[in-house]
Amino acid sequence: MTGKKKPQIAIRKESELEILHARAQALAKEPEKAVPASELLEIIVFSLGGENYGIESVFVREVYPLRDFTPLPGVPSFVLGIINVRGQILSIVNLKIFFGLPEKGLGQLNKMIILHDECMEFGILADEIIGTKVILQKAIQTSVPTITGIGATYLKGVTSEHLIILDGKRILADKTIIIHQEAE
Amino acid sequence: MNPSDSEFNKKLLETFRIEAEEHIHTVTNGLIELEKSPSPEKCTQLIEATFREVHSLKGAARSVNLREFELVCQPLETIFSRLKLKEITSEAKLFNLLHRVMDFLTELLSTLEEKRTTAQKSAQKELIAQLGFFSKIDSNAVIAQETKPDPDSILLPDSYEEPETEDLKPKLKETISGQTVRIPVSKLDSLLFQAEELIQTKVTTQQLVADLREIKNALESYILSSRQWKSRQNAAKSSQNDEMIHWHETHLDRLHAGIVTVSQAAEQDFRVMRRIVDDHLESMKQILMLPAASLTGTFPKIVRDLSQQQGKEIELVISGDDIEIDRRILEELKDPLVHLMRNCTDHGIEKPDRRKELNKPASGKITIAFATNENRQVEISIFDDGAGMDVNQIRDLAIKRGTISPEAAKKLDPGEILALVFQSGFTTSPIITDISGRGLGLAIVSEKVEKLGGRVSIESKPQAGTTFRLILPISLATFRGVLVRVGELLFAIPTANVVRTLRVKPEAIKTVENRETIRYDDKILSLVQLREVLGLPETTTSAKSIVNSVAMQSTLVVLATGDSQIAFVVDEVLDELQILVKSLGKQLSRVRNISGATILGSGKVVAVLNVHDLMKSALQFASISKHRDSEKVPKSSLKVLVAEDSITSRSLLKSILESAGFLVTTAVDGADAFAQLRAGEFDLLVSDVDMPRLSGFELTAKIRADKKMGELPVVLVTALESRDDRERGADVGANAYIVKGSFDQSNLLEVISKLI
Repeated sequence: MTGKKKPQIAIRKESELEILHARAQALAKEPEKAVPASELLEIIVFSLGGENYGIESVFVREVYPLRDFTPLPGVPSFVLGIINVRGQILSIVNLKIFFGLPEKGLGQLNKMIILHDECMEFGILADEIIGTKVILQKAIQTSVPTITGIGATYLKGVTSEHLIILDGKRILADKTIIIHQEAE
Repeated sequence: MNPSDSEFNKKLLETFRIEAEEHIHTVTNGLIELEKSPSPEKCTQLIEATFREVHSLKGAARSVNLREFELVCQPLETIFSRLKLKEITSEAKLFNLLHRVMDFLTELLSTLEEKRTTAQKSAQKELIAQLGFFSKIDSNAVIAQETKPDPDSILLPDSYEEPETEDLKPKLKETISGQTVRIPVSKLDSLLFQAEELIQTKVTTQQLVADLREIKNALESYILSSRQWKSRQNAAKSSQNDEMIHWHETHLDRLHAGIVTVSQAAEQDFRVMRRIVDDHLESMKQILMLPAASLTGTFPKIVRDLSQQQGKEIELVISGDDIEIDRRILEELKDPLVHLMRNCTDHGIEKPDRRKELNKPASGKITIAFATNENRQVEISIFDDGAGMDVNQIRDLAIKRGTISPEAAKKLDPGEILALVFQSGFTTSPIITDISGRGLGLAIVSEKVEKLGGRVSIESKPQAGTTFRLILPISLATFRGVLVRVGELLFAIPTANVVRTLRVKPEAIKTVENRETIRYDDKILSLVQLREVLGLPETTTSAKSIVNSVAMQSTLVVLATGDSQIAFVVDEVLDELQILVKSLGKQLSRVRNISGATILGSGKVVAVLNVHDLMKSALQFASISKHRDSEKVPKSSLKVLVAEDSITSRSLLKSILESAGFLVTTAVDGADAFAQLRAGEFDLLVSDVDMPRLSGFELTAKIRADKKMGELPVVLVTALESRDDRERGADVGANAYIVKGSFDQSNLLEVISKLI
């Protein structure tokens, strides 16, 4: 319950009645949290190349400011380079390039979202972190014929507010994102 | 069963597994010794020892309720007791069976918690039945055992001549085990990891101490010049500001005294910390040193099995395996050594009848000898007295395979020709493996050894045998790296691979057969640009430094793996320092030419080069390069300053402008840009609008207000798209305004070309 809803201590009868009425109404209301947690998704919303994307927060270790990075020679262009996150070396992926989106515009790209699961860990570039949001699993439309740009493989779907939800699990498990070059 | 019970059971099983492994190992080795038909006394001793091991194994299995283990151990025990009583004789058939039983138990051990497969069940039945054949020839055996006098008491009078040390051994073992604890390797590894991480702290602290000293020096020179100024002023006139100045001085002195104290304390603490970190790491490494015997323990069995398969008789002699070596090195050595042993049995040692024809003893011999040398290295020689290798045959095959040209082959001495078997191209051909047999996988052996910072060599005499010699460090030394600069990037090269760094005049570089070479130490070395080998673009800055180096000198780093050496041109050699190599993260599983990364004291991340890869890439490069440098000239000498706070955008703008031929300098915000514009001369400014400290608008306004640089063309690049902003841009005097959303390479360059 938020502080706003909490009534002031009232003396006058009239207002007391009002308050009681409001309470009764509030109690009679169907509780909103009826949706089981398993049907909810907590997502982190960020912007990249003028579009807003969401990714499930379970795959996000942390958001880290990108102040400096070390480019590596000979890696595909979607790998921006490596960065020192409190003593740990992490690679940074530019999803825009990885997804093959047109290289148009010049974003801020100074935030890094560190994605992880048991087997994989890397950072992805973002222009801006917009915030977190809880959405209904059901609210994601999985088959949207008109998704432009990203191959549907990496998408979970689109919400009614046109927020593109990335499939974190897929992206982390994707073999083509792993760089394994043998000596020439 | 509740969870804690099953947890407890799991732990018990794990303990049993470790214990049982040791017992099985000792039994197997006992069997191999027994097979060599030693002297009767030795034989009795061995049987006694092995018998005890089997008994302990049975007991251990019973205590954790492993019935199936016990069932196999029981007849096994009976057999040894009968062997002890000399009721049965040790014959080849029995040994084969016993070895099979031990193999079976090992297999059981590795699948303790799984359900038995039918194959395992039937194998168990069969083995028990066969064991029964030896253990129950007559049912009176048990009675016989009880009635017969204890063989030990008979033997005792005879064995009094034996050296005392033999009896001391078990005692000694007991005292040692009393002072030993068993710790899982994983725990030790994480401790070692932590100890290594401390290197990072050490490096960072060193940098902090240096920074502090710098501040102290700056303050001192400030105090000095302020005093000088004051004395000059005083000479001229006595000021009424004396009081003010005095107040400043008191504060400065106090500040100075404070910084001196802190700086000294930090320096002292750092020295203490450096010593502790180094000692700690050294002790951790000592803990992880294991005798080589822990690696070679299984070798007699491996050689026995191999020789049986091939119908050969081979004796394996191991010496010096009490030498302690870093566990991580031992682990990596297992495959190469097993591989070399396989080579020796497969292709070295001849079949018994062939050996007789050659007047050799029917049984072949493989010797593995460990020895240390004065450089804290271990030398492992693997010798077989087999057929040896034919230098001429290898040379012919190498030429036929195209591994080497006939002319080049002529120049090689026999040793160098033998070394050809380590080349990877050599191994894949079935023709070569058919005829010479050697070479299979030898490239992998040499690569593994080199990765560990060692080297491998080979000696062979036809019909007399072959010796492989591996020289390796005893422990993984703390990693040191040479820091070099290529263009704007820094790289660390493992010091172990750096033969030396040198500067040469352009005349010293000679072009031979279309390749650049240099003479160093009476050797002709190929010369390659590190930048080209790494595939880095030729930026204007690096082009500039090449021009410089042609005019003056080139900086070279001579790198080596194995016997080959190549000189790499770099822009600068900065430092040689202790570094901690970290992995590149999970996503970058293997990056060509790069083995990891390290964090410098300043926090900067630097890639560590993989010299093995680099040499391979360089060889490829030398053969395809060298016909294009004449055309590449820096196109423009126009200087552009890029002001942008986002590192990604900054790098992108910089690379676009550099590939268009501009000389680019960068600034991290408006204030930085203004300072740089004041300090140097520029032809154009490309600036972001939304920046900390000083925005693009403010920066432009400041430039326009400045007398000296008032005319500088300014291009604003911005995320702000409103008309107001555009107008404000024009108001403050920007020459062009590009909106980030529609930004691309061509519109930026087009705008710039209109301005300069």
